[in-house]
Amino acid sequence: MERIALLSPVCSPRLQNYPLYIRSVPTENELKFHYTVHTSLDVVDEKISAMGKALVDQRELYLGLLYPTEDYKVYGYVTNSKVKFVMVVDSSNTALRDNEIRSMFRKLHNSYTDIMCNPFYNPGDCIHSRAFDNMVTSMMMQYVK
Amino acid sequence: MAQCVQSVQEFLQDAFVPLVAALCSDEAERLTRRNGLSFAELVKPFCRLTSEVHMRDPNNQLHIIKNLKIAVNNIITHPPQPGAIRKLLNDVVSVSQPAEGLVANVITAGDYDLNISDRSIKASVPWYSNWKETLMELNTSTFYTATTPWFESYRESFLQSMPASDHEFLNHYVACMLVVSSSEPEPVEQFLKLSQEQHRIQHSSDYLYPKWFIPNTLKYYVLLHDVSAGEEQRADSIYEEMKQRYGTQGCYLLKINSRVSNRGVDEQIPDPWSQYLQKNSIQNQESYEDGPYTVISNKSADHLISDGLDIDIRDGLSNNFKAHPLQLDHPSDTSGTLDGTDFIKTTPSLHESKKSSSGTPHGACLTLTDHDRIRQFIQEFTFRGLLPHIEKTIRQLNDQLISRKGLSRSLFSATKKWFGGGKVPEKSINELKNTSGLLYPPEAPELQIRKMADLCFLVQHYELAYSCYHTAKKDFLNDQAMFYAAGALEMAAVSAFLQPGAPRPYPAHYMDTAIQTYRDICKNMVLAERCVLLSAEILKSQSKYSEAAALLIRLTSEQNIWMGMDSDLRSALLLEQAAHCFINMKSPMVRKFAFHMILAGHRFSKAGQKKHALRCYCQAMQVYKGKGWSLAEDHINFTIGRQSFTLRQLDNAVSAFRHILINDSKQPAAQQGAFLREYLYVYKNVTQLSPDGPLPQLPLPYINSSATRVFFGHNRRPAEGEKQAATHISLDQEYDSESSQQWKELEEQVVAVANKGIIPSNFQPTQYCLNSYSDNSRFPLAVVEEPITVEVAFRNPLKVPLLLTDLSLLWKFQPKDFNVKHNEETKELGVCGSDVIGAEVIAEFLINSEETKMARLKLFPHQTGELHILGVVYNLGTIQGSTALDGLDPSIGMQTGKLVSNGLSVRGRQDLEIQGPRLNNTKEEKTSIKYGPDRRLDPIITEEMPLLEVFFINFPTGLLCGEIRKAYVEFVNVSKCPLTALKVVSKHPEFFTFGGNTAILTPLSPSASENCSAYKTVVTDSTSLHTALLSSASSGDFGVGTGSQPEVIHVPLLDSVLLPGASVQLPMWLRGPDEEGVHEINFLFYYESIRKHSKMCHRVLRHTAVICTSRSLNVRATVSRSNALEDEEGRGDNMLVFVDVENINTSETGVKEFHVVQVSSNSKHWKLQKSVKVSEDKDTKLASRERAKLCFKAVRCKSFDETYTFADIVFGNEQIISSASPCADFFFRSLSSQLKRAHVQSNTHASQAAAKQSFEAVRLIQKCSEVDLNIVVLWKAYVVEDSKQLILEGQHHVALHTIGKEAFSFPQKLEQPEMVLLKFFRPENTPAPTRPTPEQLSNLIKTSLRYPESFNHSFHQKSLCLVPVTLLLSNCSQADVDVIIDLRHKTTSPEALEVHGSFTWLGQTQYKLQLKSQEVYSLQLKACFVHTGVYNLGTPRVFAKLADQVTLFETSQQNSMPALIIINNI
Repeated sequence: MERIALLSPVCSPRLQNYPLYIRSVPTENELKFHYTVHTSLDVVDEKISAMGKALVDQRELYLGLLYPTEDYKVYGYVTNSKVKFVMVVDSSNTALRDNEIRSMFRKLHNSYTDIMCNPFYNPGDCIHSRAFDNMVTSMMMQYVK
Repeated sequence: MAQCVQSVQEFLQDAFVPLVAALCSDEAERLTRRNGLSFAELVKPFCRLTSEVHMRDPNNQLHIIKNLKIAVNNIITHPPQPGAIRKLLNDVVSVSQPAEGLVANVITAGDYDLNISDRSIKASVPWYSNWKETLMELNTSTFYTATTPWFESYRESFLQSMPASDHEFLNHYVACMLVVSSSEPEPVEQFLKLSQEQHRIQHSSDYLYPKWFIPNTLKYYVLLHDVSAGEEQRADSIYEEMKQRYGTQGCYLLKINSRVSNRGVDEQIPDPWSQYLQKNSIQNQESYEDGPYTVISNKSADHLISDGLDIDIRDGLSNNFKAHPLQLDHPSDTSGTLDGTDFIKTTPSLHESKKSSSGTPHGACLTLTDHDRIRQFIQEFTFRGLLPHIEKTIRQLNDQLISRKGLSRSLFSATKKWFGGGKVPEKSINELKNTSGLLYPPEAPELQIRKMADLCFLVQHYELAYSCYHTAKKDFLNDQAMFYAAGALEMAAVSAFLQPGAPRPYPAHYMDTAIQTYRDICKNMVLAERCVLLSAEILKSQSKYSEAAALLIRLTSEQNIWMGMDSDLRSALLLEQAAHCFINMKSPMVRKFAFHMILAGHRFSKAGQKKHALRCYCQAMQVYKGKGWSLAEDHINFTIGRQSFTLRQLDNAVSAFRHILINDSKQPAAQQGAFLREYLYVYKNVTQLSPDGPLPQLPLPYINSSATRVFFGHNRRPAEGEKQAATHISLDQEYDSESSQQWKELEEQVVAVANKGIIPSNFQPTQYCLNSYSDNSRFPLAVVEEPITVEVAFRNPLKVPLLLTDLSLLWKFQPKDFNVKHNEETKELGVCGSDVIGAEVIAEFLINSEETKMARLKLFPHQTGELHILGVVYNLGTIQGSTALDGLDPSIGMQTGKLVSNGLSVRGRQDLEIQGPRLNNTKEEKTSIKYGPDRRLDPIITEEMPLLEVFFINFPTGLLCGEIRKAYVEFVNVSKCPLTALKVVSKHPEFFTFGGNTAILTPLSPSASENCSAYKTVVTDSTSLHTALLSSASSGDFGVGTGSQPEVIHVPLLDSVLLPGASVQLPMWLRGPDEEGVHEINFLFYYESIRKHSKMCHRVLRHTAVICTSRSLNVRATVSRSNALEDEEGRGDNMLVFVDVENINTSETGVKEFHVVQVSSNSKHWKLQKSVKVSEDKDTKLASRERAKLCFKAVRCKSFDETYTFADIVFGNEQIISSASPCADFFFRSLSSQLKRAHVQSNTHASQAAAKQSFEAVRLIQKCSEVDLNIVVLWKAYVVEDSKQLILEGQHHVALHTIGKEAFSFPQKLEQPEMVLLKFFRPENTPAPTRPTPEQLSNLIKTSLRYPESFNHSFHQKSLCLVPVTLLLSNCSQADVDVIIDLRHKTTSPEALEVHGSFTWLGQTQYKLQLKSQEVYSLQLKACFVHTGVYNLGTPRVFAKLADQVTLFETSQQNSMPALIIINNI
């Protein structure tokens, strides 16, 4: 079971999609995940622009399944401040249904909000928070057996 | 950016131009060769018409042709070989490189700054809404556009090298020029010959290849005349003849070579050929293919060195062909040989030849007039010859079509529909198998319309062309001739786009169909590629970038075998264009750009285009750099490194590899190992190239420069047997700010004492170990011949171990003699010169993966001067093999030497640059970020200084509280300088003593004193028991009390000098601190050199002793005034001293019992007189938890200032002389420390009540109740340790200050107040006691009555009994006191009533007296009794006040206890 969670902020110019945080289990094939996440950002971009401006306020943050590959499913989530969360899960993992994914994203979002509330955190820096680490680890342990 | 120099329209026009063949006679060719050009080349720059041309279309409409371009080519009889084309294209691309050194073209897209291309343009686009405007700017200003010239030249060459195909006529020759020189003997004959040859080429079946538009090709006869050589008249006459024969419109006389080729002439003539001939045109290749001309061109090249480039290519080509003869037949086999090594060989040679050939001019024999003539010629040819011919042909074709249109075509197709309908699917299957599908004969009617369309297209009549293409397309589709249909679709789309005014939108789906057909059905990649190139360009011009990109990518995405070997180059170029499309989109897709750039780079490298590959990767790098996509970044960097290395751009390679290694890599260990090896290999190459260059800066391992520590001095010797060296300071100790502050204070104290109480202004605390916490703003001082140790913190960020070999420091030294005032010369010495500075080299230093390790490197300065430690130098290497990955045991360390000798290692350096602390003092410093200097690594080497070593012998680790132990201390001077002024300072001076300076009382050697008491004892006789033995000493004898710094102790050295190499052992007494627990006691030894230095005045040595103390005795004492006034002399005061001794030792097993052997007093004014009550035992034994009470009588003694009187009361039979060392030492020390403590407290008191008038009086009164008596309790403890009985000795001090107040031997712990709420108001100033308490006042005068206890009187004889009573008044205070004595009875007094009988005082009832200080006054009174009985005589009331005081603090003094007298009747 392999999964990867990633955060990437999109600040005012939509261009600088760089990762704030990447975690994956297991770690050996990390490059592949980087690639997957990197490409999925385009899909996220597309989805955001397709959403339209009128619905910005009440729009759903959860983007759903971005695209399935042979081995993985990629899910996306975008906060109002255009921070993107991407999750890659093994497609054979049937335990993870849409609701679980959604709640995981919500958890990630909450945790990320906590980080942003830290006055010592510089928005845009890579995340080096132990609390966040622990949260992600526990989440991974919970769902990925 | 991929902005082209040409506009789209221009590009499309130029892609398809009327082709004109040129057939030259040998002589004519020779003529043109004089200019280094073939005929086709000669006319090439002039092939674009500058003026507009008019033409009439079939409907007689006037049609304007602008900017028409024609192409004049030599005839080649073979179709160009795919291999040759591939080679040519490859060369074209590799030759065209971005120019170096130009200003980078930076495009800011969002937050990215993209250095896109080579041309100097700075387009800064902060946000994409401006993007388009900028793009428009870029488009409009052609000069400043960022371009990809290699792509354009590739495209141009590609289009030119397109082989003519049967399904279209665009590449077919429309006309043919026959060129003959006038110098030939029979020019007319020659013309005929050439004409026949042309005819043969066109119509004979031998020659399939050069395709001709229509059967009767236009022939244009050109007579070439060499002005400089031939006769002009002859030429003219021949021309006349030609005109008659072929008509004026069919022939031309071209006069060239007016100038004699003369290289000396500096006349600047523009060279219009250069821009055409720099590129490899297909013509060169044609000349190779064309048998007859090869010889000529080669020969001429030898003579004129016309164009080295061409020759090189030709040679390369021919070699290639020779090497692979099978290539022509099996093009697919040769893919392996064509890319890779062969290209690499030729590419550099191309560059060289390009450089060499750039100087040789073309057209050396042509003047500007000649240029005009040629231009004129082409114009004439086009106007008179070509265009009328085309016009005529179009008309013919049109007529044919119209004639057939009504009936035949529709019938034809209809019948086809009817009869052939059933066959269609069958046919289409055949077509799919057969790539060309249906083949029409060349003169088939279906092709006529296509032919006409092509002609119209060539002459820019796009409207007509479109309608024709459209019709043709329908026909072909009906016939299921897919190949032809695709061609028609393609051109229909292009002509639709090119139509003026654009009546219909660009039919992109036509193109898509065409491409699909070409690719899938016809398997003709070349045509598909042409389609893509055209379509992409059109789409780009319409800002449909995403479609263009999709188109471009579609052609690259498949890698089938049949696509051929040139797919790499094509894919690379197309991917790059696609990438540019992405960034040109309305919202630039930067990541897509980067991604496709990487793909392009990959394909470039596969195609052998290393430079382009490198450039692509570099551009992609800009996007990924520092954005956290670390793995991607690593990949790019790695590739850049490799490519740069193969291109011998070693610096770039090194920096790219360096980048991989210095960033926190997330790569697995194996990958990191590979990176590291690669890096080392590249580095090695760099260093081999420039062995004499400066040492390179290595990126690994990391140096945490702020953690660098510098230590001055030798390593301390550890304890040697009994000897225990002073701990001093070492690198192994952790920094502790508290202790370092303590050391600093100690040093300040001792320096102040050494300099007579003033700390010198330039005083600088000695720092032996510099680290990030120490004050590094000044240059540290080091002593010559003493090592300097630098500890460098290395960190290995990688998951592979790093091995550093030959690790040593790098330094710069400036010799200086500090005694000489002027600096003669400061010569800089480099790294070499071990006679000046010796450097230690660590042979091997292994840092395991992700480990932080310290390396200690030493320098030995041999001269005075200024040293600057610059950095470290080492060989960086890895351990090969995985065996050494784990484990760190030394055996593996030994093996690594072998391992590394096989492995790679690179010598390099790393600088140590330490940033000082951030300054934060002034406002300017606060607002800006400034850092102070850090001079840690710049020590000044000073002259020789003495060096002291201190050893402690028999130094205990555990003591009882108050225990006295004797130890020895050894001072050794290990330097070559004598040392002097040895002092020691400690925060706890009461802990130790070196004995008084009276005499050395004990044996010097430690061994002799083993069973001796620490005290000096004298055997006493028993008579003196219980009475005090007196002696006296002054505190000055014990080094205490003289200075203000009791902590500083001079070490009594003989002659106060310690010579080099000499050692002195001194006794030292220790006394366990009064509080139990672990005590860390810091000693600071201070010493100076005999000779004074300017730089270093003193040195210090530190020692920290750790003593663990356990509880022993607790001594409490109180003093109270004795009522009895009489003493031996009958004068003065006396007091009672109660001493309470309790054994509070808790260890039941260790200490058996304590014996109090002696109690001594020492005071300036008091002394113990005798023991009041003694138990039967001589000694006072105290078992565990026992308590003994002792009572002593103390009397006032004569006081000499500053002299203490010691009184010993001995309980045993040995008197310990308390006025001698060490007993007195410790007493004085504890006294002084107590004084200091008291001082601190009283200071706060005194300040409050200062300057009050009444305060003086209060003080005086208070003083009456003060004593200054110090009690020393000396004891012995019997301790069982290891079944041996030991006797320990010790002493406790109690200082008595106030009468009636209990004093303790150890400072009472103040109860820490509980946490209280903070109060936010100011505490009221407690007013100073202006009035002394009555209790205090009552102590002013001490009274006592003297009378007989019982008095016998016979009342029978005399009824009145008179008893003399003496009232003794003694003034306790230091001042005069007025005393009033009132004898009158107070009747109101309730006491008086109780008394059974009353008595009366006789005589004066009130006295007024003045008592001087300490005066004792006796007043004789008489009491008169009338009855027998018991009377209380204590009725006199005494009032006292200070004599000079106005206010009367009058109180009754001392409500004395009842003084009872018994009157008996006899």
